[in-house]
Amino acid sequence: MSEKLLIGRTIDTGSWVHSIDPRAKMIAMMLYVVIIILSNTWLEMACVVVFSLAIIALTRIHIKYFIRAAKPLWVLMLFIFIVQCIKVVDKNGAILLSIGSWNLYVEGFKLGLFSVLRMVFLVSFTAILTFTTTPGRLNQGLEGVLKPLKVIRVSPDRFTLMVSIALRFIPSILEEAQIILKAQASRGADVRELPWKEKGKMLVSLLVPVTVGAFRRAEDLVHSMESRGFRMGEPRTKYHSLVWRSRDTIFIGFFIIMLIAMVWMSGYGTGELWTL
Amino acid sequence: MAITFEKVNYEYDANSMWSQAALQGVNLHLESGILAGIAGATGSGKSTLLQMFNGILKPTSGTVQVLDITLRGGEKAPKLHQLRKRVGLVFQFPEQQLFEDTVEKDLCFGPINFGCSVDEAKERARKAMEKMGLDESLLSRNPFQLSGGQMRKVAIASVLAMDPEIVVLDEPTATLDPVSRAELIQLLHRLCREEGRTVIIVTHRMDELLPFANQWVILHEGRTVFQGTVKALIEQADQMESYGIVIPQSIRYWRAISEKFGLSGEDPCLSAEAMSKRIAELVSAEDV
Amino acid sequence: MKQRDLKGPHGTTNVVEETVRNPNVMPSPYSPTIELVGVSYGYGKDLPVIDDITLSIPQGQWVTLVGANGCGKSTLVKLMNALLPKGEGSIKVKGLELQSDTIGKIRQTIGMVFQNPDNQFIGATVEEDIVFGLEGQCLSIEVMEERVKSYAARLGITDLLYKHPSELSGGQKQRVAIASILSMEPEVVIFDEASSMLDEKTRNELLNILSDMHKSGRYTIISITHDAQEIAASERVLVLHEGKLIADRTPTELFQDEKILEMSHVIAPFAFQLTRELHRYGLDISIPNCEKELMEALWPLHLRK
Repeated sequence: MSEKLLIGRTIDTGSWVHSIDPRAKMIAMMLYVVIIILSNTWLEMACVVVFSLAIIALTRIHIKYFIRAAKPLWVLMLFIFIVQCIKVVDKNGAILLSIGSWNLYVEGFKLGLFSVLRMVFLVSFTAILTFTTTPGRLNQGLEGVLKPLKVIRVSPDRFTLMVSIALRFIPSILEEAQIILKAQASRGADVRELPWKEKGKMLVSLLVPVTVGAFRRAEDLVHSMESRGFRMGEPRTKYHSLVWRSRDTIFIGFFIIMLIAMVWMSGYGTGELWTL
Repeated sequence: MAITFEKVNYEYDANSMWSQAALQGVNLHLESGILAGIAGATGSGKSTLLQMFNGILKPTSGTVQVLDITLRGGEKAPKLHQLRKRVGLVFQFPEQQLFEDTVEKDLCFGPINFGCSVDEAKERARKAMEKMGLDESLLSRNPFQLSGGQMRKVAIASVLAMDPEIVVLDEPTATLDPVSRAELIQLLHRLCREEGRTVIIVTHRMDELLPFANQWVILHEGRTVFQGTVKALIEQADQMESYGIVIPQSIRYWRAISEKFGLSGEDPCLSAEAMSKRIAELVSAEDV
Repeated sequence: MKQRDLKGPHGTTNVVEETVRNPNVMPSPYSPTIELVGVSYGYGKDLPVIDDITLSIPQGQWVTLVGANGCGKSTLVKLMNALLPKGEGSIKVKGLELQSDTIGKIRQTIGMVFQNPDNQFIGATVEEDIVFGLEGQCLSIEVMEERVKSYAARLGITDLLYKHPSELSGGQKQRVAIASILSMEPEVVIFDEASSMLDEKTRNELLNILSDMHKSGRYTIISITHDAQEIAASERVLVLHEGKLIADRTPTELFQDEKILEMSHVIAPFAFQLTRELHRYGLDISIPNCEKELMEALWPLHLRK
């Protein structure tokens, strides 16, 4: 069901984070990416974990949703973890575990664990953006953040209109695809029961109706938008105009302080004590 | 017995935190060779129920028996190919599933998937067109160039071409004009009457199916709240509103007549023709 | 759109001549809200989809447009709102000729509600959807807030304002579509089979909304529908057949004319069908409004005999 799709779904708890300007949240997320990349030691990683959990707690959204957001990537994470563990052959380093002639080095384990943690937090944490911001405000935020692009003659409102329509209709189209999949299964073409070579034919029987359906939707949508007086490039007012308030600056402030702390820790090598 | 449900529960996303019960403790018995109507308000679980008839959805718990195939909740399902061949399921707006460049190819898709030879499939396609009252000349046409009503019939024919024993349809008449709706219902009725197939139709327009259906099932919030004949349904018509269903005009009129003239033991006459005939008999009866 | 396999009789132009000039349906001492003169439209070299239609609709009237699937109803209303490129003939809305430079103005006068509840939902929430059209009209925030509040209340969707369309039923989405259109304060509202994907109960709710709109006197309503109840509630029925306007009647007149009914693919309400059948048995009763009236009409006949 569409419930599974977390993309573009807002979980409204009315928290402080929900009320933050989407532009502030977007900038904060960019800072967070840098923070994550800079965290190379146990201490730094511990700080990131605490910091992330604190912000997540502020959203008042149950942690299970964040875990859920990262869950689809677990295979990839496991793969990266294993590769990192195997990759590191540090003859002088401490050995954590030996299986026969193969050694798992602490350094390898650390690298693997860090990679996974970084991924988990990156995905889960950036989910804050979609969980706490309605798609409409997200779009406005995007439009605001992309404003500098006007200099190179890319129109941000066209781009954001495109994004918002995509966000609005992708779940509907996926749902429709699911029904078509079931309908074709009822006609004897069940993806799960077909031999591999038949799956190609199956794909055609799915893609054609889904494409036709998407075009039908597009036509309806254009009619609906036009009959409500929409014309590309015409002046429009904004119902929800974004107002930058002090809380938005404070929100970004958290991330800047965190970033400075990270730079300071790696710069002074304080972390070295903790690297084991 | 064509279809038997025993204490069937169905939950969407059963193992996740979004699990939602769509069917709860559904018991159902549908005989072979009948025309059954399934009614219920939006969200009552009608579409979920239908998808269990050919194993598209499997029960979370309880037992579903269709023909001689049994699906039990929690058990691994048997290969469903045979079941799907024998139970043709027509989804809502089936014309949206057409994909080939000729009507004939689309009609042959099902039969070939179920192991027919190309010639056999073509023969079945031709027969299915006839059953849906479509002209054979349409076989070479592109389905996307047909009218809405014709596309709907072609899509239903594409399921009939599989020669199923049970035909299940989810709101087959939705968005058609009333004349096309009546015509389609009559074609489906003929499938049942003349060929002995079991036909099950989900509808939110009970009135158009009332003169034809011999069994009715009413769903309300995922439970079967009524199952029985039209006669029994009329006796309990007052409860229909609480299930979110509007009482059809024909039932209202028949109930008034039956009350006034004391016909409670009689089989109801629900088409305008039958009802007026009965009224004429009643009014002139005193003469004799 | 392409269904032309109707078996109905042809050559009914004289019906048009009679009915279009019928004084009963031309009550307008004022200039009509919608005026079409000789409108034709076709795709390529195919038969015209709309064939030389002339009609006028006065302010405040509730008109139903009926006809078999593919007779051109939807094309006709889309032409009025310039959703399709201009064909032949002239279309005037409130005296304003539809031309490329008047499209914006005319679209402000005409609002449209379509068939598919999901596909016409533009915003990511109900509130955003309502506001979409208002932003295009460049209204101030205060006015928009006021409109959102009052129209959401009028259509009973205040509790749904912050919901995503996937959380709404088809009927709720249609209410939102109507709120979105009405909040733009159009004078003409066109319903293009807006009830056909709804279940019976929701369809009745929609019918109540239409009745209220009509009673308010603010709106000229054009509704495309096959629903007998909805036709019966309107004031005037225009019948299209193969792109031509073949009849212009009151609903009661339509329901009693078997030939036109057949051509328009409309089925009369049960009471009309029953009365017609009873006539065949020599039982002449007037059309009942409900089952009680039928019994009141039948009982004396029964006692007399």
